[in-house]
Amino acid sequence: MAEERIDLPQGTLDLLILKALALESMHGWAISERLQQISREALQVQQGSLYPALHRLERRGWIKAHWATSENNRRAKYYKLTLQGQKQLEVETATWRKLTSAVGRVLDTA
Amino acid sequence: MLKDLLYRLRALFHRREMDAEVDDELRHHIERETEKYRRAGFTPDDAARRANLALGGREQIKQQSRDSRGTKFIEDLLQDLHYAMRSFAKTPGLTALIVLSLAIGIGANTAIFSVTSTLLLKPLPYPNPDRLAILWLRSPGIGIPQDWPSPGQYHDIVTQNRVFQDTALVIGDSYTLTDRAKAIKVDGIQATSSLLPMLGAKPLLGRIFLPEEDQLGQPKTVVLTYGLWQREFAGDPNVVGRAITLDGQTHTVIGVLPASFRLNHEVIPTVGGIDKPEFFMPPPDDAKNPANYGSENYNILARLKPGVTMRQAQSDIDVIAARLREEKHRDRSFTISVVPLTEQVVGDIRTALLILFGAVALVLLIACTNVANLLLSRAAARQREIAIRAALGAGRMRVMRQLLTESVLLSLMGGVAGVSISSLSISIARKMHPGNIPRLEELGMDFRVLGFTFAISIFTGVVFGLAPALRASRVDLTANLKAGGKGLANSGLSVRHDKLRGALVIAELAISLPLLVGAGLLVRSFIRLANVAPGFNPQHVVSMDVGAYGPQFKDPVTRIQFYQQLSERTRQLPGVSATGAVSALPLTSAVGWGGMQIEGYVPPPNEPELQVDQRAATPSYFSAMEIPLIRGRVFAETDTDKMPRVAIIDQKMADRFWPNGDAVGKRIRPSDDSPWITIVGVVGVVKEYGLDTETRMVVYYSHTQRPSGTMYVVARTASDPASTTAAIIHLVNSINPNVSVYDVATMEQRVQDSMARQRFAMTMLGGFAGFAMILAAIGVYGVMSFLVTQGTAEIAIRMALGAPRTGILSLIFRQGMTLALAGVFVGLLGAFGLTHLMSSLLFGVKPTDPLTFFSVLAMLLFVALSACLFPAGRAMRIDPMVALRTE
Repeated sequence: MAEERIDLPQGTLDLLILKALALESMHGWAISERLQQISREALQVQQGSLYPALHRLERRGWIKAHWATSENNRRAKYYKLTLQGQKQLEVETATWRKLTSAVGRVLDTA
Repeated sequence: MLKDLLYRLRALFHRREMDAEVDDELRHHIERETEKYRRAGFTPDDAARRANLALGGREQIKQQSRDSRGTKFIEDLLQDLHYAMRSFAKTPGLTALIVLSLAIGIGANTAIFSVTSTLLLKPLPYPNPDRLAILWLRSPGIGIPQDWPSPGQYHDIVTQNRVFQDTALVIGDSYTLTDRAKAIKVDGIQATSSLLPMLGAKPLLGRIFLPEEDQLGQPKTVVLTYGLWQREFAGDPNVVGRAITLDGQTHTVIGVLPASFRLNHEVIPTVGGIDKPEFFMPPPDDAKNPANYGSENYNILARLKPGVTMRQAQSDIDVIAARLREEKHRDRSFTISVVPLTEQVVGDIRTALLILFGAVALVLLIACTNVANLLLSRAAARQREIAIRAALGAGRMRVMRQLLTESVLLSLMGGVAGVSISSLSISIARKMHPGNIPRLEELGMDFRVLGFTFAISIFTGVVFGLAPALRASRVDLTANLKAGGKGLANSGLSVRHDKLRGALVIAELAISLPLLVGAGLLVRSFIRLANVAPGFNPQHVVSMDVGAYGPQFKDPVTRIQFYQQLSERTRQLPGVSATGAVSALPLTSAVGWGGMQIEGYVPPPNEPELQVDQRAATPSYFSAMEIPLIRGRVFAETDTDKMPRVAIIDQKMADRFWPNGDAVGKRIRPSDDSPWITIVGVVGVVKEYGLDTETRMVVYYSHTQRPSGTMYVVARTASDPASTTAAIIHLVNSINPNVSVYDVATMEQRVQDSMARQRFAMTMLGGFAGFAMILAAIGVYGVMSFLVTQGTAEIAIRMALGAPRTGILSLIFRQGMTLALAGVFVGLLGAFGLTHLMSSLLFGVKPTDPLTFFSVLAMLLFVALSACLFPAGRAMRIDPMVALRTE
């Protein structure tokens, strides 16, 4: 199973976190679960690198954190996309699309 | 951006809370992950293990989270600073030594920089100062390097030039301000109305001069400076319109200038030698005559048109000067030079300043070298500590960064201490009052100086810290830890094993040698200068300027009577053996010269009119000053205006025109329309303008035949100069309370003051060189003593094997002297290359003076030798048994 997974390219983790938070605000564990589920277990997200990434995004003002009680009655730190983060998500999504289609074209024609 | 910064600041100050949050967050994650695995059917233990494994190292995550909060750099810095302070506290002596060396190095640089910045970088306090220029006549071919222009030349320049937007004609002099309790002497400038607007002066009260006031027949007006207005008119707001009496004539005050307006003698050196004008008046009638080419007593100031360069202005004026040379029969070397005003102010101080700046830069370099050496010794002692840090995972960059933080911190502390040292030295410099250092009053700390200090502090910190840091961070882990922190055992008893240290010591000696030679040359010059015979005997002579002018002295006879009366009563004072008076005393700012014709001498064509210094003297002036009478006689009381006119000339003039010694009886006259005057005596040459300045020829007139209203009174006294001076001032007041006394000093003081600049340069460079030598000595000592410490084992073995103690001694000395000789050799090469730069500061000594070079060489070697003494002594006292056991 592990062999089929691919490691995340540099910088894409931020984009995936923003995408995951676009639907609803979540705590860290839920984000890591969500990423694995929606990528159908194809992407290997290092759980350890998730938390530094969250702090980085918070510093840039793209996400906001607050403490709340989780679904099973435990205190958890929830992250929420800010307005600025929403814009950033759009920008990064567009960039990613452009990049993959360009790389795809090069691979197809070459 | 701002949000980012706020986040980082919060992260910095709430670091603990944020770490705790990460902890909570990670705990929550593990719990949920464990639950997930348990639900999948794993045992509780297995589930927890898998959850932990999936997350990875918790401490690492915490560290990475901290890093991504963007405070790593500052946190590391704080940690380094904290660590640095702790390690300084452990070695307070060494730290103090380092900070002190740096403080002196940086302080000296700051002081000299603040002078340089004020003079060379700070613009003059006038609008567009780079377009201001002052004009001088030059006739180097006949020995007149610089002379004042005349109104005739001014009018030619005004009408013929195409480069100046504005021009001003200026003359300065001293005046007596009366109608007050006591008459006072004030310096003032008479100038065309263009002067003040050209310098950007706007009136604080009233107005400044109008162009029509440059014409003949205008009412007498005066504009006061802020200083005079405050001092003599108590800042009277109604001063405009008031009448004041200057030299007996009534003038109406029309305006007051603001306090910010400054015009010192270094900007306009007037012929009258005034220091700082305190009021301004319209030009004298003499200046309004375009045909007046004779009165070469004026300054010309000009403002260039926008876009015109100084070079263009010079070539334009060259054309006018060429025309004047033809029409007025000037000598072939005659030119008029356009000197940028900034250049005029900085003048010949530039060389001295740049030399001093170079010297302090070298001192700082030595200080850096020395500190680098001290840090190297410390780094050697800290090798084990650094090895442990490296073993615990500190990267090389991290170790270097920490060491550099320490050295920059040291240099910043040095910088802070240096600023106080430089403030102190600036106030000392002000006290020394080195005569012609211009704009001294503007000197001080400003943002530019502080910025400079900060920059060189950081810079020196990196410079002296880099080599030790590079070396220390390159640790050999196993060797170091095994050696138990004593440093590497294989570093033996030879400087060759430690090239870096050896090179640093050689550099220190090499740098200090040119400094010492420079200082030595200045000392030799100064001694030469101090031994120049001034042509009079300055000991036990008091002098003062006594001004008998103003309305009540209009009749020349009253002046003669006043000075005669003063002279008679002064002679009776206790201790006074002789007294006399002269219109211009040597080594004062007083001057007086003019044309002279000699009966029977027809000057060859193209030779300019003969110009000589002219003085009025009383009969006993020569004996009071002990100026030797070489031939003929001095003046007598009987040489009155009823008798034939008489004059005394100096030896220089006698030698020039009557080399056979038959001057007495010959006749001279100042101009075509004056009667012939008979030479009755020849006296010795007197240094009028300074001990290092060639004198001109001098003609003395008898005061009784040419009464002057400003005479310097001198008295030779056996009693205390201060009480004699006080007694004479008392006499002046009792004879006529309206007569003022200025410029009181003993002749010895005047001689000393005339050497102030040389003394200043000598003291400064000498101080810097001395400091450099001390630092170099510390450097040699440090290296040799480190060598002995490192080589203890080797010395012990040699001793155990039977080497005599004297052998050990000579071993150490040989090492030290090898370094010293290498340094001195390099330094000698440098000194030969550098000292010629200072030839303009030298007097009677060649830049390659062998005696100076030899003495400095000997002294430096001796100092290096002495610096080896203690380490060598310690090496000799090593007990082989003790030393080998501890190894």
